[in-house]
Amino acid sequence: MCYNRNSIFLRKRVIKIFERKELTDGVYFSKITDPRFKQNRFWISLFTGYDEIPREDAAVAAYEFSECCERYPDYKQLSLALLDLYDANLSSSTSTFCNARRTNIIISALDDRYALNGEKLECEAARLLCDCILRPCVKNGAFDEKTVEMLRAQLIDNIDSSINDKAVYASERAAKTAFVGEPAELPPQGTHENAEKVTAKSVYNAYKEMLRTAHIEIGAVGCSDFAESEKIFADEFSKLERGNIYRIKPCPSRLKDEPVEIADHIEMEQEILRMYLKAPDMNDRPANALFSLILGGMTTSRFFTDIRESESLCYYCGCGTDRFSRTLACSAGIEPANEAMVKASMLREIKDICENGVTDEELERAKLEMLNSISSCYDDGLGLLSWYISQITDEKFISPEEYAEEIKNVTPERVRKAAEKYTLDTVYTLKNKE
Amino acid sequence: MIEKIYSNIIKETCLKYVCECGTEVYMLPMKGWSSAVAQFTARFGSQDNSFLSNGKRIEIPDGTAHYLEHKLFESEEKNAFSLFAQTGASCNAGTSFDYTQYYFSCADKFRQNLDILLGFVSEPYFTEENVEKERGIIGQEITMYRDNPSWRMFTNLLEGLYSVNPVRNDIAGTVESIAKITPQTLYDCYNAFYSPSNMFLCAAGNFDPDEVVEVCESRLKKSSQFKVETTPYTEPYEINKKVMRLQMPVAKPMFEIGFKRNAVYNEEEISDYIYYNILFDMIFGNSSEFYEQMRIYGILNDEWTVGVFNGRGHFFLTARGEADQPELILATMMTYIRKMQKEPPSRELFERVKKATYGSLVKEFTDVRSVCNTLTESVLSNVSPFYAVELASAVNYETLVDKLRDIDEHNACISIIEPLS
Repeated sequence: MCYNRNSIFLRKRVIKIFERKELTDGVYFSKITDPRFKQNRFWISLFTGYDEIPREDAAVAAYEFSECCERYPDYKQLSLALLDLYDANLSSSTSTFCNARRTNIIISALDDRYALNGEKLECEAARLLCDCILRPCVKNGAFDEKTVEMLRAQLIDNIDSSINDKAVYASERAAKTAFVGEPAELPPQGTHENAEKVTAKSVYNAYKEMLRTAHIEIGAVGCSDFAESEKIFADEFSKLERGNIYRIKPCPSRLKDEPVEIADHIEMEQEILRMYLKAPDMNDRPANALFSLILGGMTTSRFFTDIRESESLCYYCGCGTDRFSRTLACSAGIEPANEAMVKASMLREIKDICENGVTDEELERAKLEMLNSISSCYDDGLGLLSWYISQITDEKFISPEEYAEEIKNVTPERVRKAAEKYTLDTVYTLKNKE
Repeated sequence: MIEKIYSNIIKETCLKYVCECGTEVYMLPMKGWSSAVAQFTARFGSQDNSFLSNGKRIEIPDGTAHYLEHKLFESEEKNAFSLFAQTGASCNAGTSFDYTQYYFSCADKFRQNLDILLGFVSEPYFTEENVEKERGIIGQEITMYRDNPSWRMFTNLLEGLYSVNPVRNDIAGTVESIAKITPQTLYDCYNAFYSPSNMFLCAAGNFDPDEVVEVCESRLKKSSQFKVETTPYTEPYEINKKVMRLQMPVAKPMFEIGFKRNAVYNEEEISDYIYYNILFDMIFGNSSEFYEQMRIYGILNDEWTVGVFNGRGHFFLTARGEADQPELILATMMTYIRKMQKEPPSRELFERVKKATYGSLVKEFTDVRSVCNTLTESVLSNVSPFYAVELASAVNYETLVDKLRDIDEHNACISIIEPLS
């Protein structure tokens, strides 16, 4: 076990501290302490590769984390334990971070000072989290078959239910073309077909492999100093057998030689348009973020003021960037008759920024909006911790204030150059069935 | 004069100030926080579709409150978004069944932002041209919601539960109803409902309360407005329809069940809200025998939530989920209610769920936005901001059993969204 290695201390107004250290091989502990918060939250993220562990097995393993553990061997007993922690929330999920799978389990519990009977809620929450992830219910080298059967059915329901939310469905369908051959091509939970093949043994094998090889980030945020909780995590994770630790490597999405245009048809009233543009050599993060805001990320953006307000072409029309895949995703809900006009208007706005740049006023507004949200992030403990954890692949961690300084220095020309780096890659439309 | 309302449990003080014009202001300054949120609310929602104003009976098309919310952002010179863009604040608005709210959040220039908020809400500017322009945008918003099965399931449930109460109509109206909205419709509603005494302001976070008072007094003026009266209606106790069905592209049948109750107000509303939340958590929540059985046999999955939906003029207990046979869930719930009425759940379980309910209400005071939401909700219910959390720490088992016996399990509607056949 190793303490105080690779420590980083960053402060804002004295009371806010972010600290990260390596507890043991590839297991890191980060904490943010702020007495203003009334609850303490812990999360554990396991970063693993999609090639090494099947998506569907890993997804069911994540469900297992919030289903039961040795101490509380079924969902009902675990739920009762959470009630005793004053409605502590325990949840687990699977998502994509960079090109890696991120299996997350998180618990939030009220701070000890609000307990009606003097209970020690913080340490109990930390122990419970360790129980769920390190001591699941296992029999004869596999998870319980009936439980896995139930969780497999749940996984299939969840995979299938993406159609219930048309925006999610459009995004998943578009990703199949936009990110073909890349980890983001498929949803992190995998496919219905493969989910059918999941067994108690395959999930357990995936679980063991995740614990052995994952890059693990443990986070704590709240009003406590987390000294006791840190010891609990350090003791628990030092007992793990570790090897062949997964390394997260950012990898920009490949740009197609020619843009691809595709469509799906289902019964619905409004169409959804999603366009992906890619900039594999994007190297100016602050200018890129401001470009995205000016184009379609705020209520005075080009998309909002021109396409929605002036042309009344749609109710929503926006865009956002992913800094790891270096992708810009534009989306809009549109009437079928307006499809060509909305698409042309979106591309025209991008072209205009590439050719004529942005105005000083536009840039100033975007900077103000960005600086406002950067300052506000100090009020959101989990958001602040996410800010830092999102930098684990970067050469160094920067604080929100340092990023704010970078934002302030962006010029209109840098925004124009950021826009110029983008090339249209995929146009996807979820259309009405004729 | 500023009145102080202190909570021993939360250890926070809420300040209440009544402006000369009659607008009530509730403030919870949070020392050391970076951001602040202000919410300016009019007691005018989609359900207020018929009213008496200055002796004149006015009937308005469905969706008018929402349309008005959209149009207030526009003035003769600049729209509100561009004014907030000069400060970096993030602003928006929302319309519900019984209120409309305008709000911003910021990390700087709170005073200036508050001035913009109160300014644009106080200065309506409706023209034939700008009202017409919005029709297409709102029409597309309506269409977007029509493609949302979860929303359709909920609005169908309201239609099934209520036969007269205008809460049964969609908040945004329909493409046909909004076609009838004119600038005059909007002015009629604005003049009737956006009077100082029918509005209130809540703020939480990093700001100076004295500045809030100054801005309010300078922006909000007394008006010679008359008292608005919404047209009374008599909603029967009984539900309108037992089953509502709709087919949409969904993977598995989705359903929402409502157990209708008479509307209650003020402290009674909050008390019923807490007791029935505790009851439904005990009988049907994650730790219940009911949910355990339903999960084990694969009848319900993890898309299952129970709770209470309430507001001005409506109150029902609700459960929503996904299942191949939704009606079986309703039948089983009815059986459980009857069983529990005969043999109430244990006092021990009550104490555990009570603790959890208290914990969840304390957590509402953990960040700026949720604190401001809590202030607004308590004002809408006409109770102190800390009333719910204080009550949650003092609820008792005997009252819970009385409330349990008062559930009418037959007064229920189920709204189902079925996959396309």
